[in-house]
Amino acid sequence: MADICYEDETSACESRPLWSSRKWRIGVQRFRMSPSEMNPTASTTEEEDKSEGIYNKRNKQEEYDFMNCASSSPSQSSPEEESVSLEDSDVSISDGNSSVNDVAVIPSKKTVKETDLRPRYGVASVCGRRRDMEDAVALHPSFVRKQTEFSRTRWHYFGVYDGHGCSHVAARCKERLHELVQEEALSDKKEEWKKMMERSFTRMDKEVVRWGETVMSANCRCELQTPDCDAVGSTAVVSVITPEKIIVANCGDSRAVLCRNGKAVPLSTDHKPDRPDELDRIQEAGGRVIYWDGARVLGVLAMSRAIGDNYLKPYVTSEPEVTVTDRTEEDEFLILATDGLWDVVTNEAACTMVRMCLNRKSGRGRRRGETQTPGRRSEEEGKEEEEKVVGSRKNGKRGEITDKACTEASVLLTKLALAKHSSDNVSVVVIDLRRRRKRHVA
Amino acid sequence: MEANGIENLTNPNQEREFIRRHHKHELVDNQCSSTLVKHINAPVHIVWSLVRRFDQPQKYKPFISRCVVKGNMEIGTVREVDVKSGLPATRSTERLELLDDNEHILSIRIVGGDHRLKNYSSIISLHPETIEGRIGTLVIESFVVDVPEGNTKDETCYFVEALIKCNLKSLADISERLAVQDTTESRV
Repeated sequence: MADICYEDETSACESRPLWSSRKWRIGVQRFRMSPSEMNPTASTTEEEDKSEGIYNKRNKQEEYDFMNCASSSPSQSSPEEESVSLEDSDVSISDGNSSVNDVAVIPSKKTVKETDLRPRYGVASVCGRRRDMEDAVALHPSFVRKQTEFSRTRWHYFGVYDGHGCSHVAARCKERLHELVQEEALSDKKEEWKKMMERSFTRMDKEVVRWGETVMSANCRCELQTPDCDAVGSTAVVSVITPEKIIVANCGDSRAVLCRNGKAVPLSTDHKPDRPDELDRIQEAGGRVIYWDGARVLGVLAMSRAIGDNYLKPYVTSEPEVTVTDRTEEDEFLILATDGLWDVVTNEAACTMVRMCLNRKSGRGRRRGETQTPGRRSEEEGKEEEEKVVGSRKNGKRGEITDKACTEASVLLTKLALAKHSSDNVSVVVIDLRRRRKRHVA
Repeated sequence: MEANGIENLTNPNQEREFIRRHHKHELVDNQCSSTLVKHINAPVHIVWSLVRRFDQPQKYKPFISRCVVKGNMEIGTVREVDVKSGLPATRSTERLELLDDNEHILSIRIVGGDHRLKNYSSIISLHPETIEGRIGTLVIESFVVDVPEGNTKDETCYFVEALIKCNLKSLADISERLAVQDTTESRV
């Protein structure tokens, strides 16, 4: 069984890189052919009746299957769910396509997996009223893939960096920080997120200092002057999303806010120099906070932590504050944004606006999902079913709609910030955390 | 500094004399003033080549992103300075008060901008010295400025000194790098 599972996973992995517009078109064609292959029969009708009859139970089973990478037949029932799953798994593997019911269930599991390949997300970034654009955004779905004998999970990375002094430190964070987090994640066995993130940020900070001493980016205006870039830095608010947890690491005054059950839950705390514990830390290090157009370290910098800004060390440190939050069914979405947004929009207002966007689009998505279900159930050939799921125009379109909703939400937030006279660059990432649940319901 | 006193051409007395002669500021009520000193391991002509560029202060000042000067480099010329993001200002308008290529003295006055440094005036002077047997430069920079409402004299001096220290450190780093290049080129 182990060998078979491994092979299955390998095959699944191999099929993913093949995703392309060509594959997409092939999927569309297959979908068009599908209706002509449908033959209404008594057995089909009976199958549908059974499915409807155990709708709720099936949902539970599917959720359980997803978590355990096992399959089960909806027609069977037993108080010992776990043992049933194991037995069905054996049957499916040894009997192949001998049972219509067994075949029908596997695609559903695949659908769940495929849908969970990555969360839906959108991003918007505007220069606004500032002279230069110094924000950067990094989006890396599936940047870490953890695979064991019986399970396979993907981790997704989202980062927002607000540069100051120049853009090259933020640009460098965009290029490298996720790679450093990836290295730390793959080498760490215990998943000690706090230490992993602290090491990643420290390495990033050292890299920008070292990097500034060597090669300058062609896009960086500093090249025209002299490569003394001690006075350039960036915030970094980073989120890693796993199937079970939301990890946030923050350094500076950008922010991560979770919307859970309609309520705004901050997952990071801004590093302002007059935050009592930050003020204490700076003074103990021999620095000073002076109110000069707001609280500033040495009267100069309006944040107490940043990547770079070597001239202000050790008062301005690159050590991130890390939060690890268990995911729940009430989680709706996550917002990462720079202070260009948060200085003029409250957490609650941002959540309310995004919620309206996603709920409107989500309703449409749900209807499409329901429409698809009967057709998928009646398919007799597992392989075609699998291909359709992977390349289905409907499926892809749903993804597009949801991504579009996240993007629209991001754009709306940036527009709101500008309308409220934000004087800074504004960058927003919205990550939809609900899709897996919706899929189960559908 | 005392350890190097024997080898330095300058000593505390000479330093005080330089300050007395070149760094006079007339203070009025509610103003603060201070003087900073920096020893740079580079000859005066290299350091001066950076300091005297009234039209390109960004050559060594890390907080400046751009500078526009209209007209010639003469007393009374005004420059418009763009300040880098993240700092409590975006623009500064500055007037050239003195540029002495023989004595190596530059003086500027801030006459506008969106910052809180009102009636700011500064003088920077360079003086040759020997540091550990090698030719170096003693840099003295002094300033006077109004104390803004809401801040103390101590806070204002601390803030301005922090900025000047960054400028002088950068000036030292760049000058010393140029000096090394000079030496390398002269050997070729």
